[in-house]
Amino acid sequence: MSNAFIKIEDLHKSFGKLDVLKGISTTIQKGEVISIIGPSGSGKSTFLRCINLLEKPTSGRIWVGDDEITDKSTDIMKVRQNVGMVFQHFHLFPHKTVLENITYAPMKVKGISKAEAEKIAYDLLEQVGLAEKAGQYPNRLSGGQKQRVAIARALAMSPDVMLFDEPTSALDPEMVKEVLEVMRSLAETGMTMAIVTHEMGFAKEVADRVLFLDGGVLVEDVPPEEFFSNPKSQRAQDFLEKVL
Amino acid sequence: MDLDFLRIVPSIPFILNGIWVTLLFVLVAAIIGFIIGTILSLFKISNISWLKWFADAYTSIFRGTPLILQLMIFYFATPQLTGYDIPAFLAGILAFGLNSGAYISEIIRAGIQAVDDGQREAAEALGVPYKPMMKDIILPQALKNILPALLNEFVTLTKESAIVSTIGFLDIMRRAQVVSANTYTAFEPLLVAGLIYYLLVMGLTQLGGLLERRLRKSE
Repeated sequence: MSNAFIKIEDLHKSFGKLDVLKGISTTIQKGEVISIIGPSGSGKSTFLRCINLLEKPTSGRIWVGDDEITDKSTDIMKVRQNVGMVFQHFHLFPHKTVLENITYAPMKVKGISKAEAEKIAYDLLEQVGLAEKAGQYPNRLSGGQKQRVAIARALAMSPDVMLFDEPTSALDPEMVKEVLEVMRSLAETGMTMAIVTHEMGFAKEVADRVLFLDGGVLVEDVPPEEFFSNPKSQRAQDFLEKVL
Repeated sequence: MDLDFLRIVPSIPFILNGIWVTLLFVLVAAIIGFIIGTILSLFKISNISWLKWFADAYTSIFRGTPLILQLMIFYFATPQLTGYDIPAFLAGILAFGLNSGAYISEIIRAGIQAVDDGQREAAEALGVPYKPMMKDIILPQALKNILPALLNEFVTLTKESAIVSTIGFLDIMRRAQVVSANTYTAFEPLLVAGLIYYLLVMGLTQLGGLLERRLRKSE
């Protein structure tokens, strides 16, 4: 396993008769930023959701850090504390303020004090540029602001890796940039990130590697320059032709 | 027509005192019903099949038989089976609480299932265990959604509570009957009781509307 932080081995996932993932193997190094792209229905979200077991793999093995999360004896709750996740539709807790959204899990799960949790929360809100929104309820925020709070909420657990499931797909175009900016600066801090995205420009610029999925198969696993300028497979060529 | 309200005037305070008796009865029964309903609803959405089975069977029995029959069983069968001379109040709140628990469990179950699944996923992704997730994230949102249905259940309970008069519990209804027997009247005391029930229900409905609007505002 050397220095691979996440290792995925022959991952299969089916929903009933539908095979969504058909044997995916790859590794993610510490500090790497991975973009996962592909046509809709290619299984990219399912792939990402397997990494923190929001989807239970049908077969195959996944390691996060030193833990094999697909091993039944692993405490998955413990692993999840270490793996942050950002969703397409934010999923902020609507009955809690922005501050409470961020402090809830650190206090409840890690047992840190309220004062300390709030200090962390304010630092993170500063980082995502929303310090003045701490006392607001989520429904007072724009989509872009919600997503930035969601990122701060995930970061408050100080995870070793962050998963992003189409973080800008539900946003109005003018709000995409503010979220990508936050993600870009997060990448610069050396955070390990796996991002399912349709933002090709962002993938090209920020990612260290591109995973191209099609039909539940990992078709290409290459640096972005190579993928965007010189895709090897026909399927990637067809895909890029449509989206670029 | 022979109506004489003057004859029952001295007895009106006696009937009015039944308000507190009825309200206390409904409040205790509702609390029992709410606690049982919450537990049962969690059973119903759990993955453990015998808990699910138990909760479904419970609901089926309490909804499938008349409330007055359940009340009679608690009041008359308890002494026969156990020798314990159960007070009417205790038998009443048990029957009403357990019965209402069945209905409330269905309301809460529907409320929980109506909460966006993303909320559960977000909590799980943060490593929040099941219990705090339910208590802090899912149930508060579910309760807000089902508040109108819960208040409706509370109002129904208030009206239906008149059935405890059949086991001699001195609620508003029973007091009206006592006055009726003592004064050889029927319509007058029943009219007074009916008026009281109506005002109670209206009051509770108003209170519910207020509560609902305040909860809405917090969002």
